Amino acid sequence: MITYILRRLNLLLLTLLILALASYWLVHAFPGDPVANLSGVSFITAEQKAYLDQYYHTDKSFLNQFIRYLELLWLGDWGKSFVSGQPLVDEIATFLPASIELGTYALILSLLFGIPLGFWAGIKHGKVSDYSILSFSLLGYSVPVFWLALLLILFFSLQLGWLPISGRISLLYDIPQETGFIVYDILASNIENKYEALVNAASHMLLPTISISIVTSTIIMKMTRHSVIEVLSSDYIRAAYAKGLTSRQVLLKHGLRNALLPIVPQVAMQFTTLLTNAMIVETIFSWPGVGNWLIQAIYQEDYPAIRAGMLAVSVLVVVFTVFIDLTHKVFDPKRMHHRRVKN
Amino acid sequence: MPLLDIKNLTLEIETTNGWVKALDKISLTIAPKEIRALVGESGSGKSLIVKAIVGAINEGWRLTADRLNWGGKDLLMLSDEERRQITREDIAVIFQNPTHSLDPTATLGEQLEEAIPDHLIGKGWYWERRQRRNEIVASQLHKVGIKEHDACVSSYPHQIPDDICQKFMIAMALASEPKLLIADDPTKGMETTTKIQILKLLSRLNETKELSILFVSHDLLAIASLAETMTVLYCGQTVESGRLMQLRRRPLHPYTKALLDSAPSFRKDLLPKTELNALEGTIPTLQNLPAGCRLGPRCPRAQKECVKMPEVRYIQNHYYSCHFPLHRYK
Repeated sequence: MITYILRRLNLLLLTLLILALASYWLVHAFPGDPVANLSGVSFITAEQKAYLDQYYHTDKSFLNQFIRYLELLWLGDWGKSFVSGQPLVDEIATFLPASIELGTYALILSLLFGIPLGFWAGIKHGKVSDYSILSFSLLGYSVPVFWLALLLILFFSLQLGWLPISGRISLLYDIPQETGFIVYDILASNIENKYEALVNAASHMLLPTISISIVTSTIIMKMTRHSVIEVLSSDYIRAAYAKGLTSRQVLLKHGLRNALLPIVPQVAMQFTTLLTNAMIVETIFSWPGVGNWLIQAIYQEDYPAIRAGMLAVSVLVVVFTVFIDLTHKVFDPKRMHHRRVKN
Repeated sequence: MPLLDIKNLTLEIETTNGWVKALDKISLTIAPKEIRALVGESGSGKSLIVKAIVGAINEGWRLTADRLNWGGKDLLMLSDEERRQITREDIAVIFQNPTHSLDPTATLGEQLEEAIPDHLIGKGWYWERRQRRNEIVASQLHKVGIKEHDACVSSYPHQIPDDICQKFMIAMALASEPKLLIADDPTKGMETTTKIQILKLLSRLNETKELSILFVSHDLLAIASLAETMTVLYCGQTVESGRLMQLRRRPLHPYTKALLDSAPSFRKDLLPKTELNALEGTIPTLQNLPAGCRLGPRCPRAQKECVKMPEVRYIQNHYYSCHFPLHRYK
């Protein structure tokens, strides 16, 4: 087990290194002076140029430059944004939590809907309820996220006026930013009307979360259904029935765990899709997340921001995937070591 | 009254070529205290019969039978709950492929415990019942020859070797103290000493606890040492059935003769370096079943009439279905 964890961590480190390399390649691939792209200073005087060359080791060999780049990444000096002039680490620290928060709620919502529905469909395989759930999931899977988001806005915000169109919380509430996770920040703050602020934040959150989670929940539903059907047709389930256990006992004791175990890493893979969809949805709902920020950066040709944003998002995805993989391996009894039982 | 009475059991499976009879009019009876062997090549439908008896067949398969009676009750007419009760208390199965028939994510202990019916545990406080359950688990494992029961119950199926897994399956089947044990190739892949141990255990249980056994296997030696009666199966059809001694001495169906001849250790008069007998060809696939008697294309005695399914005929208790049995038309 230890070797397995070490091997995974080794892989993680290597992947991160390659990501860093790719982002460093971006510095040179973007138009303009590499030093400007690194530092985020758009107009460089000769004096500054000499200083920055020395700071970023751009006058030395490539390997030397790259090692310096890694060092600076580690120290938290990611350069500054062309547009705002703020340090990129601070900007990302502001915007990334909003995206993670949105993604987390969407993932939780998708799991809450996807797994029970998929399980139900798998148990009722070949019956009407199975087919109706399946066709619903096909529908949900085929709907483009941006269109769905616009429809939701049109119906719930404009037509019915129940929910706000955009933003994260009403401007009336002044929440001091601490972690960037709005729910936590509201609870941690000492404003008077916490409850109203929470309700307001939730109402802002509802539509974006729903529009992201519909696609993901249909995918999770399909995976669960598939896994349940496979497990239910396996020999040990039939053997369990032959032991005379009730369907309930068979499903809960043997079906559930075996069906859910293989889904866990697949769900983790969905996090990538979720994040991509979240970026689109953030733009539509003006959600102040990293996706929205990154797309703005692309529009404004803010090269340092694009580089740092890409790096941050991809590191997040990679770390999350490896983390889920490790948890899965720790909890999967099939991975445990063999031992000899004597006759 | 026979314990289990099956008459004309037919199981149809849907394939790409339409519905196919995987089991075609199987008849089988097991009396109390009887050990009946069910013999046939791989793919002859032995395991399907086992699954049909305990109701563990796939959804969408069509099962029909003139009779499928358990102690006088028609299993096909019973409600799910009543049928479950019977499979829980009276019938136990040792499945083929022990590693596939055990839940890979549950420990062996959990799986053995859930096979023990409540009436064996009795009433009492939670810890008393737990204590009792552990005792039963340990004693069952000792009976089948697993000495380290503690290590065994805390293991997962993939952690222990196949032969112990097989023994564990037997322990699990016997835990409910059933009236009928259906053993689907229980000695598969075991070395001879272990095999003898298991066969001895089964015959002892048969004598002391009046356990009836349906012994499914193609190991003729094991069958000869254990069973009294035998049913021979070929490609989903019952070919011949009767007392084992009778069948051995005078097989009436060409297939039974071929089967007995193909086992060298069964023939005492075999000289060294004699060519071994075997039927030409292989068992047909489900998609290409011959009409009538399914042995037809491979049968040395086949004639025109064999495209019609032969009637079941009998001499005393010896049943066979063949147009040209070995004692006639020499």
